[in-house]
Amino acid sequence: MVRPLLEISRFKMYFHTDKGVVKAVDDVDLTVNEGEVVGLVGESGCGKSVTSLSVMGLVPRPPGRVEGGSIRLADRELTHLKGREWRKIRGNVVSMIFQEPMTSLNPVFTIGDQIVEAIRQHRKLDKKAARRLAADSLQEVGISRKGILEEYPHQLSGGMRQRVMIAMAMVCRPKLLIADEPTTALDVTIQAQILDLMRRLNRETGTAILMITHDLGVVAEMCDRVVVMYAGQVVEEADVNTLFNQPRHPYTQGLLQSIPRLGQRAERLYSIPGNVPNPKQMPTGCRFAPRCEYAMNICRTEEPGLFAIGDGQNSRCWLHVDKKEEADRDPTTTTS
Amino acid sequence: MLIPVLIGMSIITFSIVHAIPGSPAKAILGERATPEAMERLEENMGLNDPLYIQYFRYVGNLLQGDLGTSVQTGRPVAEEILPYLTATFELALCAMLIAIFFGVNLGILSAWRQNTSVDYLSMVIALIGVSMPVFWLGLMEQWIFAQELDWLPSNGRMDPRMFFEPITNFYLLDALIQGNLYALQDAFRHMLLPAIALGTIPMAIIARMTRSSMLEVLRSDYIRTARAKGVREGLIIYKHALKNAFIPIITVFGLQMGLLLGGAILTETIFSWPGVGRYLYDAIHARDYAVVQSGILIVATIFVIINLIVDLLYAWIDPRIQYGKE
Ligand SMILES: Nc1ncnc2c1ncn2[C@@H]1O[C@H](COP(=O)(O)OP(=O)(O)OP(=O)(O)O)[C@@H](O)[C@H]1O
Ligand SMILES: [Mg+2]
Repeated sequence: MVRPLLEISRFKMYFHTDKGVVKAVDDVDLTVNEGEVVGLVGESGCGKSVTSLSVMGLVPRPPGRVEGGSIRLADRELTHLKGREWRKIRGNVVSMIFQEPMTSLNPVFTIGDQIVEAIRQHRKLDKKAARRLAADSLQEVGISRKGILEEYPHQLSGGMRQRVMIAMAMVCRPKLLIADEPTTALDVTIQAQILDLMRRLNRETGTAILMITHDLGVVAEMCDRVVVMYAGQVVEEADVNTLFNQPRHPYTQGLLQSIPRLGQRAERLYSIPGNVPNPKQMPTGCRFAPRCEYAMNICRTEEPGLFAIGDGQNSRCWLHVDKKEEADRDPTTTTS
Repeated sequence: MLIPVLIGMSIITFSIVHAIPGSPAKAILGERATPEAMERLEENMGLNDPLYIQYFRYVGNLLQGDLGTSVQTGRPVAEEILPYLTATFELALCAMLIAIFFGVNLGILSAWRQNTSVDYLSMVIALIGVSMPVFWLGLMEQWIFAQELDWLPSNGRMDPRMFFEPITNFYLLDALIQGNLYALQDAFRHMLLPAIALGTIPMAIIARMTRSSMLEVLRSDYIRTARAKGVREGLIIYKHALKNAFIPIITVFGLQMGLLLGGAILTETIFSWPGVGRYLYDAIHARDYAVVQSGILIVATIFVIINLIVDLLYAWIDPRIQYGKE
């Protein structure tokens, strides 16, 4: 039943800048099944956006460069695609919405023109039919007011613009929608509405969603499965209940502890000690080791692989490996 | 807005012209005219009246469409200036088209290929372009393309032996309307050198402006959105990005068009182009007050009108600007 739609495996995207190589995405494994909502969480700068932009082929190259691994979407390898082939996929098989609804729409074209353009990029419809489809797609995201097609982005509020972005992204019925912190810039009530809308569209159309956020509340509300990233790598992956009830990676445990709970006083709020490593100088061994309270010797010398620990849960931590085995075991082969 | 500017302009031109030393009566009658004859002529021309009366007479006439009469030829200025005006206009328009076409595309190319050799080369061209004075460029063009290579004519708007009867006095347009291909070709060949000389500086300025404006726009979120929709790179640049990049560029167009009118006078002198510049130049030498006054006023009016057009262009391109609705 469960069929993988997006399979990212051992994918590496480095930025070659004047000041050195930034290993923004370094060995990421991530799967999104058809119709599934997957959350991608992690601190700022851990490579969430670069991972998702890689799926869209929108990482600026140069300075970005694919250093290995593969991205398969609907049984098609994406890492070798050329310009034309990319354009057939973008907006059609996979769409993306962004954090900043205020600046994500072109200010000098009408809403109607911008949605129609997305339609006619991939569907052979005449202008009239495309406009009707555009109006339908707006209706679908809860905008039914008359004349909206003729309005310009500056006439709409942030929440409305994000709805327009969603309508535009969904209008060609993509198999996957990538949402890069779609609600971060919106106020709380609007946030909830947008999340409801996305959840509803997911159920009604079967479009899978890769939801990027650093808000674990959003994850709990929206997602079926969660992938946690740290310093360009996936450190833990599990279904949403497992992750919240039995986080196995120390980093995930730290993240969960830092969520403010009702009744908890603000000054007691936990935060993970230390800082995110500099992406130009990653520590040898486990990247989280310098901040980890369980760090062992091996953690500082050898990099752990992503170990399968049952129930579809994976964790990149030496704690899960039997100490006797670890010496003669190549961690990378255990990647599930 | 237009009206106070024009009133101010008429006062300024009037004052400047009257501040210039030298008597028009003397210019007409020559150095050896008797004082009595000069006195009589000045009386007839109303030059002995107080200045403010002269000014009101001048404005009153202006309002009736009377720009005065040329002292030299005795013909009304309004009638006489027209062919000169269209000649200048045709030249300025062609220069502006060259400037816009090459400037915008050069700027786009640089921005699109930022920090590559293409970018550096385009910007060196632009730098050379802005640093070349119009008269120097004009003279070099004449020397190379007219004298040494003998490819293009260096003087006038058309070969005088050409059988050609202008209608609107925009030669290129007239030749096209009449289907006179020989005349069209000849007018085009005459246009080429002066238009390039006049268009080079604005071309270079527009190229730089386009580059920086495009660089900023290409980094913006809505360009990423357009790419995420699967839009072709060509459309992204020429539709999504350019329309936004144009907003600051238009300001430059307006300013350049003004400078262009100034540069036109130099260009006309070098290439013996029968335009307003030449007309005014001759009038100043002859102390032909009416012509100078009206000529300057007309040029100033054109300048104001261009700025008005620029404002309208803004509103047309940028939906966020709405005049009179705020
Ligand atoms: N064009 C680029 N050139 C160089 N480095 C880049 C570029 N884009 C991203 N990076 C680097 O890649 C790393 C990952 O960035 P990314 O935007 O994916 O983080 P993120 O997880 O999305 O963070 P946030 O939560 O702040 O959005 C960062 O260290 C960033 O500096
Ligand atoms: Mg991001």
